[in-house]
Amino acid sequence: MTTARSDRMTVARSRPAPRRASRENRRPRDLVFLVPFAVVLLVILFPVIWMLYSSLRPVQAISQGITWRNVFSGLSLDSYARLFEQTGFGRYLPNSIIVCVSGTVITVAIATLAGFALSRFAFRGRPAVMLVLVATQLLPFVVLITPVYLLFAELRLLNSFAGLIIVYVAITTPLATLLMTGFLNAVPQTLDEAARIDGASTLTVIVRVIAPLVWPGIVTVGVTTFIAMWDEFLFAQVFLTSDSLKTVQVGIAGLFGEYGTDWGVVMAASVVAALPTVVLFSLLQRRLVAGMTAGAVKE
Amino acid sequence: MIASRLRSAQPYLLSAPALLVIGLLFLIPSVYNVVLAFQHLTPYQSPGEAEAAGLENFTDLWSSGDLPHAALNTVLWLTAATVVLRLGIGLGLALALESPILRRWRLRGVSRTIILIPWMVPQVVAIAAWRWILDGSTGVLNQALTGLGLIDQGVPFLAQTSTVWWSIIAIIVWRELPFVVMVLVAGLQSIPAEQYEAAAVDGAGRWASWRSVTVPHLRPVLTVVVLVTVIQTFNNFVYVWLTTGGGPGNATAVLATELYSAAFFDNDLGAGAAIGLLMTAIMAIFAVVYLRVTSTKGDSR
Repeated sequence: MTTARSDRMTVARSRPAPRRASRENRRPRDLVFLVPFAVVLLVILFPVIWMLYSSLRPVQAISQGITWRNVFSGLSLDSYARLFEQTGFGRYLPNSIIVCVSGTVITVAIATLAGFALSRFAFRGRPAVMLVLVATQLLPFVVLITPVYLLFAELRLLNSFAGLIIVYVAITTPLATLLMTGFLNAVPQTLDEAARIDGASTLTVIVRVIAPLVWPGIVTVGVTTFIAMWDEFLFAQVFLTSDSLKTVQVGIAGLFGEYGTDWGVVMAASVVAALPTVVLFSLLQRRLVAGMTAGAVKE
Repeated sequence: MIASRLRSAQPYLLSAPALLVIGLLFLIPSVYNVVLAFQHLTPYQSPGEAEAAGLENFTDLWSSGDLPHAALNTVLWLTAATVVLRLGIGLGLALALESPILRRWRLRGVSRTIILIPWMVPQVVAIAAWRWILDGSTGVLNQALTGLGLIDQGVPFLAQTSTVWWSIIAIIVWRELPFVVMVLVAGLQSIPAEQYEAAAVDGAGRWASWRSVTVPHLRPVLTVVVLVTVIQTFNNFVYVWLTTGGGPGNATAVLATELYSAAFFDNDLGAGAAIGLLMTAIMAIFAVVYLRVTSTKGDSR
């Protein structure tokens, strides 16, 4: 309950007058709800706290029990040092960044063009395209892995970033396009019509008029796409056989030892792998949640 | 004339790149998967060297005895159990987030952020964190339980058949709960306040207004949540593969892991494709039946 109390105090200090009425409604009876709720939140938060904490504990302490006296003794960045010295993580991290950033840029470009078509033109086949976009959301990726593997083997795209980027672009394009169409529908069509009358081509309209207006939408789609690519494991695991090309998620899976696992290193790797998505998600929380849930509910 | 034809071609040109990658990665492989399911092929052969297999891939799968077991695991433990738990707990948390008590104490923002956190953690990372928590000898759960005197020695949660499914379920529910909560919160927020006021004017108590306003409004949202979570979980490969690999023994074998090991460990791409076809069929049947049932229920209301 300490968090509740401190939160209430900071709020009370920063906004005194208008909140008084609601504060007076706070009843002791509320604790019947608040205490169990706080316990549930702690349970939800615990694995993340434990991951962070374990990544900072020294190796020898990790297998010993925790007592009140040694909780905070000897915390260090030692596991992180071992992660980058003794495993391939120093390579996996740039690998993931290269694949995900270039994949995201391509997906956003493709989705913006297609979204513009779906938002601005009533063309024949438009309902079919929308249907395909929604249907792909329901198609199991794991079923695609065998045929795509064979197809990419024929095209000599296995064990290359190019192959993985193409896969990632393909699996993120449907949702990105659906989201982009929604954002573009919110931009008044009169604006691009005006630009057209001035003689601008479609591409000029998209780049010069639409993109600046729909910038927050583009960022949301980009971040959603990046997170989906950053999280992906199956295709990266199957496609990238040489160790120097592995991505972060495949790297973590490789850290589970057959006999005994260095948990300090695994937790350090987990923190590093979670960092980009946690940061991006927190920065754009509200809009991302709205976008992702809309993407799921849309039909 | 040429200008207008160019203009009418524009939507097709603009959506061409999107349709190209979708066709290359979804449509063509889906069709090819069907062909492959009736062939014998290893990853070291090119597709041209495939031999016709007839129904062999399917009959072999059936007679090996592993497949019914894996199918039952997939439907019951991996999918049904986790979806039911997510819906139950998710609905509770969504209602809690919308409760006036949290607003009164100005705790809504903090609570919402905490509930979202597991969703920000990549699946592989969530699995790593939980494997360490559940570790048989030095994991924190075992240390806590022995410390409290509840057990004498560490329980290898992921390595014994009596606890392994519950452990995997805990991981899935933990990581995938925020999505359900957020969709349900969005659903709850879309209910107009006037309807509750009207219900109150009609003398409806808390239970009656829940039944007559909240439930009918949530029904379409719940339909979509169930559809999406069932399909995503049914097809999920990572949770089982990275926690147990299907073990101990084959206790947690599911269709997705069977597909992967058949194709890439036993080097039998045809068998993998056959399992994939079976999975697609099960999901297609589920989606059709489910949508039909939920939509007729909506009509009779």
